[in-house]
Amino acid sequence: MTEKPHTVKSYEEQLQHLSNDLVIMGGNCELAFSNAIKAICKNDHALADDVINNDTVIDNFETQIEQEVVNLIALRQPMAIDLRETVTALKMSSDLERVGDLAKNIAKRTKLIKKKLPNELTESIERVGLLVQKQLKSVLDSYTNRSPDIAQDVWEKDEQVDDLTNNCMEEVIKYLKSDSENIEYGSHLLFVTKNIERIGDHLTNVAEQVYFLVNGTYLEGDRPKGSQSIVTGEK
Amino acid sequence: MNKIEAKNVNVFYGEKQALFDINMDIQEKQVTALIGPSGCGKSTFLRCLNRMNDVIDICKVEGEIKINDYNINQKATDVVRLREKIGMVFQKPNPFPKTLYENISYGPEIHGMAQSKDELDQIVEDSLKKAALWNEVKDRLNEPGTGLSGGQQQRLCIARAISVKPEVILMDEPCSALDPIATAQIEELIDELKKEHTIVIVTHSMSQAARVSQQTGFFHLGKLIEVGSTDMIFKNPNQQQTQDYITGRFG
Amino acid sequence: MINREEFLNKRYKSEKRFQFYGKSAIVLALLFLAIFLFKIFSTGYTAFQKTWITIPINYDPEFMYLDADQKPSIQDLEDSEYFDVGIESFAALDQNANEDQITDIKRMFAFIFEEEIKYHILSNPDDFGKIVEVKLTASDDLDQVFKGNYPRELPEERRRVTDYQLKIFDKLSAEGKVESNFNFSFFTNADSREAELAGIASSFMGSLFSILVCLAVSFPVALLAAIYLEEFAPKNRLTDFIEVNINNLAAVPSIVFGLLGLGVLLAVFGLPRSTPLVGGITLSLMTLPTIIIAARASLKAVPPSIREAALAMGASRMQTTLHHTVPLSLPGTLSGTIIGLAQALGETAPLILIGMVAFVNTIPGSPMDPAASLPVQIYIWAESAERGFVEKVSACIMVLLIFLVLMNLVAQMVRHKFEKKWN
Repeated sequence: MTEKPHTVKSYEEQLQHLSNDLVIMGGNCELAFSNAIKAICKNDHALADDVINNDTVIDNFETQIEQEVVNLIALRQPMAIDLRETVTALKMSSDLERVGDLAKNIAKRTKLIKKKLPNELTESIERVGLLVQKQLKSVLDSYTNRSPDIAQDVWEKDEQVDDLTNNCMEEVIKYLKSDSENIEYGSHLLFVTKNIERIGDHLTNVAEQVYFLVNGTYLEGDRPKGSQSIVTGEK
Repeated sequence: MNKIEAKNVNVFYGEKQALFDINMDIQEKQVTALIGPSGCGKSTFLRCLNRMNDVIDICKVEGEIKINDYNINQKATDVVRLREKIGMVFQKPNPFPKTLYENISYGPEIHGMAQSKDELDQIVEDSLKKAALWNEVKDRLNEPGTGLSGGQQQRLCIARAISVKPEVILMDEPCSALDPIATAQIEELIDELKKEHTIVIVTHSMSQAARVSQQTGFFHLGKLIEVGSTDMIFKNPNQQQTQDYITGRFG
Repeated sequence: MINREEFLNKRYKSEKRFQFYGKSAIVLALLFLAIFLFKIFSTGYTAFQKTWITIPINYDPEFMYLDADQKPSIQDLEDSEYFDVGIESFAALDQNANEDQITDIKRMFAFIFEEEIKYHILSNPDDFGKIVEVKLTASDDLDQVFKGNYPRELPEERRRVTDYQLKIFDKLSAEGKVESNFNFSFFTNADSREAELAGIASSFMGSLFSILVCLAVSFPVALLAAIYLEEFAPKNRLTDFIEVNINNLAAVPSIVFGLLGLGVLLAVFGLPRSTPLVGGITLSLMTLPTIIIAARASLKAVPPSIREAALAMGASRMQTTLHHTVPLSLPGTLSGTIIGLAQALGETAPLILIGMVAFVNTIPGSPMDPAASLPVQIYIWAESAERGFVEKVSACIMVLLIFLVLMNLVAQMVRHKFEKKWN
């Protein structure tokens, strides 16, 4: 659905600005997350510092978007598609901010791991990391293209994320069992895995919001869940 | 429950067709808002409902307009009785240049609704109370109605309309000449009145339609583009034209 | 490229020029009015004064053919002759007067001197047999002489006043026996061939009756026509045609209405000639379109929102019209009516045609009695040869003007007093 421009140009510009800010914020999250995965896999502390420092940018974006949304509601009283646009922006920005926070947490834990990790472990983390990266990219694409189909795809693929995080979790548990020395690093890795899974969940939230933004209705039905839910503890 | 059912209503001003095949149901004891750009026919449709278009010589109304399942758009309909049942409030406050009391008592008097002076006094008091004007004017009922402020005048007109206990009240942009406070008072009044009356309101202010109504109909170029719950129209309308209009993308 | 500064100056100048033209037009109009009013007032104001000459009257029983020894009853005095009393008293003014000169002296007084002498003795019966001073009306010529309007320097054979009369008059005048007072008889007398006795009572009443008849006929008819045309009639070719013709009717020369009155009212219906009844009906034909147009305009000026309000309350069209529209339009209609009547009041031509130009020396008591009207009276007097009528014409114009101004004032007052403000 492509919309005609508003009669009031400044209103159109404000909405456009909001949307652009959200896309840039999403881009920053993408970068932060991919860097965080790289840092943990390669045990690259410099890169981890980078991620930690850049998180303020994402936080600032969130406050900025929040203000823009409040302004729009107060001054323009958006209706219908515009209303969904503004409300979605507010919710998406807070989800993306959480994504940024979780990436920063991964980077912080990276800095606490002082040695090279076994290959099976890093490969497993990398695998789930790449999938989540793809999900992040897709969900941002679905927003820029206002495509409910891509959003629904992302929403459904979260099952795979869950499966891969479960695998990853098993690897970490194996690593913990192998040596009592590994308990310190292993427990950090448990949180890293959990963080990746949380990021996946936030992305499904974003996907739901994009779907609502375009269609005005909610994605219905239960989201498919991974078969073994070690991470969430569900049976 | 449907209070009013319009079926295939077409209106012509001479050669020019003003309304095209309007089909619309209006729910009892709810507020139905009619929105749309100027000249879209929403006021024309409103005026079909109490046959006010009869006043215009060249205006011809076709189709069925059923109120309580009775088609009012036929020769046999007694417009005097009809307008007793269907009151109207206009865009510009138009009290009679008479006293406040006479403004309210006029309707009951011509319809012979009061047996005695006391009964008439009671009707005047009740109407003014319902219109939330009693406290402001009870001490000066013998002053001219035109001496009130714009908002008070409009509430006086509403009191006048409800003095004959109509089932339906039609309002043609009742707040367009009022300031925001007076507008809020009228909106509050509409909320109260819908407990006993079915209200149809034409408004240019979409936020007003959103605030006061339960049903909204969107007119454009003489056609009813979309009608549905106000929630739906303002959050997620079905028609692109409706969305363009309410989001301000009309051009 | 135009010099903007110069261009602007030009615009200001042309605006000033325009205002100047407007002001000069107003000044010119006021000037004409002032000259007109000055002329009327300067010639007319003297008509409100009347000259009286006081002379000793000898109520000698011999001249009255009554018994000197017996006090006469009122009836006796009533039945007596006073001509000789007058003649003897006049002769007493100049001991040496011959027969012709006595006649000259008699002509110095209005021909009603007998009445005046009789009136005095009737109200003062004790003066019987005595010589008392009595005020007598001077003749119109001497009236003019006293007011200074008479050309005394003309040779005697070209004036109506003889040198002898002037000599007597000057003598009396020097003795302070000549005085001038407010002329009540101008307002209370009917028309007369004698200028000193002519008054406007007959024509004033004639005008008043005509206007009342005109109002009674034209106002209800015009109001009903206007209400129907404005509020009820469908807008089609027929009503358009009628509207155009009403407007045309307002422009028809008034003399045509006079012919209509003559041809229809007098010839066909046989109504009495020269009466305010016929005059009023004829004038009402003329006022009718004026009132219809005024009434329609003021009906149109009632905001449609008031009609809508009444209709939406369930009032029928007649209720809407009678309860709301007509009361609101009434001030405008009434002031239009008064203006129309004022026009009719000044109308002469149609009244001449229906015979209201006749010489009427009685005051009409009803619209069915013959009467003149103020403008016709002006016309009649203006035609008269006597010098005494010149000031009467102006005086009559003044009365008419005051009448018109009063009517217009009433129109203004009605408009202001009853006009309702709806916003």
